Amino acid sequence: MTPLDSIQEKLGITEPWVETGGAKWLVPGDKSVREVAQAMNEAHARFITITAYQLAGDEGFRLEYHWDLDGQLLGVAFQLAANSIESIFDICEAADWIEREIHEGFGLDFQGRAYEPLQLRQGDTPGVNLREVKQ
Amino acid sequence: MSYKIPMGPYHPGLEEPYKLDMICDGETVRDVKLHIGFNFRGIEHLAEGRNYIQVIALMERVCGICSNVHTFNLCRAMEELTGLTPPPRAEYIRVIVAELERLHSHILWAGVAAKLMGFKTMFMTSFEIREKIMDVLEAISGNRVNYAMNRIGGVNRDIEDPQAILKMVEALEAEMAHTVIPIFTTSSTARSRCAGVGVLTREKAISCAIVGPVARASGLPQDMRRAAPYAAYAELDFDVPVQTDGDVRARLLVRALEIMESCKIIRQALAKLPPGEIHTEGERFAFTTGTAIKRIEGPRGEILYSVSWKQGSKNPARVHVRTPTFAVMPSIRWMMQGARLADAPLIQASIDPCYSCTDR
Repeated sequence: MTPLDSIQEKLGITEPWVETGGAKWLVPGDKSVREVAQAMNEAHARFITITAYQLAGDEGFRLEYHWDLDGQLLGVAFQLAANSIESIFDICEAADWIEREIHEGFGLDFQGRAYEPLQLRQGDTPGVNLREVKQ
Repeated sequence: MSYKIPMGPYHPGLEEPYKLDMICDGETVRDVKLHIGFNFRGIEHLAEGRNYIQVIALMERVCGICSNVHTFNLCRAMEELTGLTPPPRAEYIRVIVAELERLHSHILWAGVAAKLMGFKTMFMTSFEIREKIMDVLEAISGNRVNYAMNRIGGVNRDIEDPQAILKMVEALEAEMAHTVIPIFTTSSTARSRCAGVGVLTREKAISCAIVGPVARASGLPQDMRRAAPYAAYAELDFDVPVQTDGDVRARLLVRALEIMESCKIIRQALAKLPPGEIHTEGERFAFTTGTAIKRIEGPRGEILYSVSWKQGSKNPARVHVRTPTFAVMPSIRWMMQGARLADAPLIQASIDPCYSCTDR
C-alpha cells in the first residue's frame, strides 16, 4: 500500500486522488479538516500552507490545504460555511501563522484557537486587507 | 525576576523590521514573541490587478535578494496554465541564474552573520565576493538585483559566451574555497559564537514544517531540486548537504557547503548548455481556467506559488505565495528559549530571514 493509499484508507475515502495543476487532490467528502490533518500527520506528510479563495457572488470562501509527501504536493480543498472552519493549529503547529494571516486578511474564523497580536499591521479589524467587499 | 526586552522593529541587530519581545531571567531568554507585518505590501492582492506581463515584474519585487526564484516559479505556473514548455536552453539558463542568486544570497548572509559575530574582516570579505557574483549576474542579465530574466515560455536573455561566465565562476569558486569556506568551517571565532547556540531539534523542525538550509541543518534532507526536480536539475549532479546539530554552526556549515554545490551546478550547466532558442515564440498567451501550483528551492528554502486564472482574462484571479521565511520564522521562538540574550541577534539572523518575503 502506498502512503497515498494509506491516507485514503484512514479517512475512509473511496474517491481516488486526482492529479491536476501540479498537485494530487483528494475530495474530503464529509471528513473534517481536522480528520484530514490527523491523517496527514500519521502519514508523516509535511504541512506547507493554506490558500484562501474568495468565491464569486455570495458563495463565500474556499480554503486549499497543502502538504508534501516525499516530494509530492498534496491538496485538499474545503468550502467554508459561514466564513468559519476548525483550526488545525493544535495538531499541526506549522499552520499557526497562515491561519492567523488568513484570519486577518480575509476575516475568516479558525474555530478553537486564540489569535496572537496582528501580523498584518494595517487595520485593527480582521478582513480589511485582502477581502473584497461586495457592493 | 523576569523582565521583557523588546528588540525591534528597528534595531541595529536586525537587518529589516520585525519585533521580538524577549522574556528574560537575567541574561537567559526564557521565551520570545514574534511580531511581523511592519512592511506588509499586499502584493498578492496587487497581483490580481496586473496582466500576465506586469505580474512578473511585480512578483520579482516580493524579495530583493531572491527576486529571480519568484519569477522563475511564477513563470512555471503560468506555463502550466498556457500549456507552454520552455526550450532546453532556457531551462539551463534558469538554473544558472538561480544558482548564482543562491551564491550571492548565501554570501550576503555569511557577511551579515560575520558582522553579528563581531568578525568584521569576514563581513568585508563576504561583501567583496558578493559584489563579484553580482558582476556575473550583471554580465548575464544587465541587472544587479532584479534580473528580469524570466518570461512565460523561457528567458529574456541568452548566455552568449558561457566560457567567459565560466571563468568568472571559477575565479569566484577559488576565492570562496580559500577564504569564506575554511574560515567559517574551521575558525575558532565562528565555532565559539555558533556551536551549541540556537538549537532547533530535528523533532521540532518536523513539527514546525521547517524548510531550506534551516531544515537541512536540523537533519532533514529536504530540497525541492532533489525531491521534485524542475528545469534542468534532474540532469545535473549535486549533493544536498545535511548537518544534524541543529545549531547556528550547523546552519553556517550547510550554507557554506551549498556554496560549493552551487558552483558545481553552475559549472556543469555552463558545460552542458544546449543550443537553440531561449523562449517559445509569441507574445500573446492563451490561459486556461484553473490553478497551477509550483514549488521551487530558493536560497532560503521551498517557495510555493499557487496561481489561478480564468480563461480569457489577462490578469490572474489569485496569486498566493508561501515564502520560506514565513515557514521558518516561527521556529525562532524555539531556538531562543534558553539562549543568552547576547546571542539573540545571531540566532534570529541564522535562519537568513527575509522580512520582505514574509511581508509580501
